[in-house]
Amino acid sequence: MPVSVDARQRIIEATYACVARRGMAKTTVEDVAREAGISRATVYRAFPGGRDELMDATVSWAVFDFFAKLYDRIQGATDLEEVMERGIMFAHRSIVEHEVLQRVMQTEPDTLLPALTVESIRIREGIAQVLAPFVVDRGLAAGVDLGDAADFLARMVLSYISAPGRWDLDDPAQVARLVRSELLAGVVVPAGSR
Amino acid sequence: MKQNVTYRFIVARAQGGLRVVEVDTVVPLVVPTATNPSGSIAESPHRVRIIDGALACLARHGTVKTTVDDIARQSGVSRATVYRAFPGGRDEILGAVVDTEMARLFSALGVRMGNAGDLTTALVGGIVEASTRLGDHAALHFLVEHEPGMILGHLAFDESDRLLETASRFTAPFLARWMSPDEAERVAEWAARIVLSYAIAPSDRLDLCDEADATRLVTTFMLPGIEALQSAPTMPIDISPYPSRGARPGPRPAGGPVPAG
Repeated sequence: MPVSVDARQRIIEATYACVARRGMAKTTVEDVAREAGISRATVYRAFPGGRDELMDATVSWAVFDFFAKLYDRIQGATDLEEVMERGIMFAHRSIVEHEVLQRVMQTEPDTLLPALTVESIRIREGIAQVLAPFVVDRGLAAGVDLGDAADFLARMVLSYISAPGRWDLDDPAQVARLVRSELLAGVVVPAGSR
Repeated sequence: MKQNVTYRFIVARAQGGLRVVEVDTVVPLVVPTATNPSGSIAESPHRVRIIDGALACLARHGTVKTTVDDIARQSGVSRATVYRAFPGGRDEILGAVVDTEMARLFSALGVRMGNAGDLTTALVGGIVEASTRLGDHAALHFLVEHEPGMILGHLAFDESDRLLETASRFTAPFLARWMSPDEAERVAEWAARIVLSYAIAPSDRLDLCDEADATRLVTTFMLPGIEALQSAPTMPIDISPYPSRGARPGPRPAGGPVPAG
């Protein structure tokens, strides 16, 4: 009997709840089954790969959830600069304030990071796809390939939101400067006439 | 005769005369010369040999399966010699491997960027040098593939911040010939981000080990960004509506070096 999408989702959310409480390494399929109120067999029917598949799916889901919120946050932005400013500030705050992410990063980075690295390729492609139309709308700089530009922006956004370095991403003035220099200056036509 | 130098670079032509850059390191290196191309150690004849032996072991077996015996055999010295050079054993050797490889990377970057005559050459040279060294690093590749947690831990979040800081602190003085120290640190950090991003996740669009591709990236994305950093140090927040598309095809910098700031 196939497992419904809803049931899969319930199992993933149960896994997330278990991880939030006791981390990735200590969460077993049995814990998840108990948390979701279903049998172990049902968990295995939904995730034949067992614990590993469950953990990967949960990291995927948490990343997707994060970007869904991020996507909501940039709705209504009028131009590329505003999209990037809002997105970077929100993403940075969300990462800093993400209790489960921070705790798992502290206690079991070896378990989390490989999964997160696999996800980062999807994340990068997702960011590039979201940004590309805004870049076109704003005006791609002469001689720049849209694919190159979107990929470059996505890489840089990921880099800054996970490690801000010397930029204070809580300060709107600094974020504005970052967006208009290292991120967009080479990508779009100058905003001289604005 | 080998000349013992502490890890220190003198950057000539820096604004305001000579500039000395010091980097924390455990292993003093000898400057590479024609007769000693690897730049081997002066004060402890076995240390670099053992470190290089450990590197070869790491490239084959990773950290988990490499023992002090393996390292001794690979280096062609006895176990006792290894312990005399590294009383802390395996962990101390692995730590020294990281320090030495960092020192070698920064040393090569120092030579390449220090010899550059203009900003574009310095940036392209630094990016190509770092990308090539990371790309060709057999031990690093083995670890990324088989012990990802080990390497990724240094590339994520706070640890990544630390790595970026080290890289920018070291390379910024080479860029400060063409911009203010604050701008140089930002640009150095930016270049380090770019190198790391493409090293962790290679792109089929841009190969930063390739001089032409790296030049394209620097002239397309970095030089205009540096100009923007320099021209608007306290840029006001302006999110007013912009003219619709095509209003200004816009002049782009031709890709030459940005004039000294």
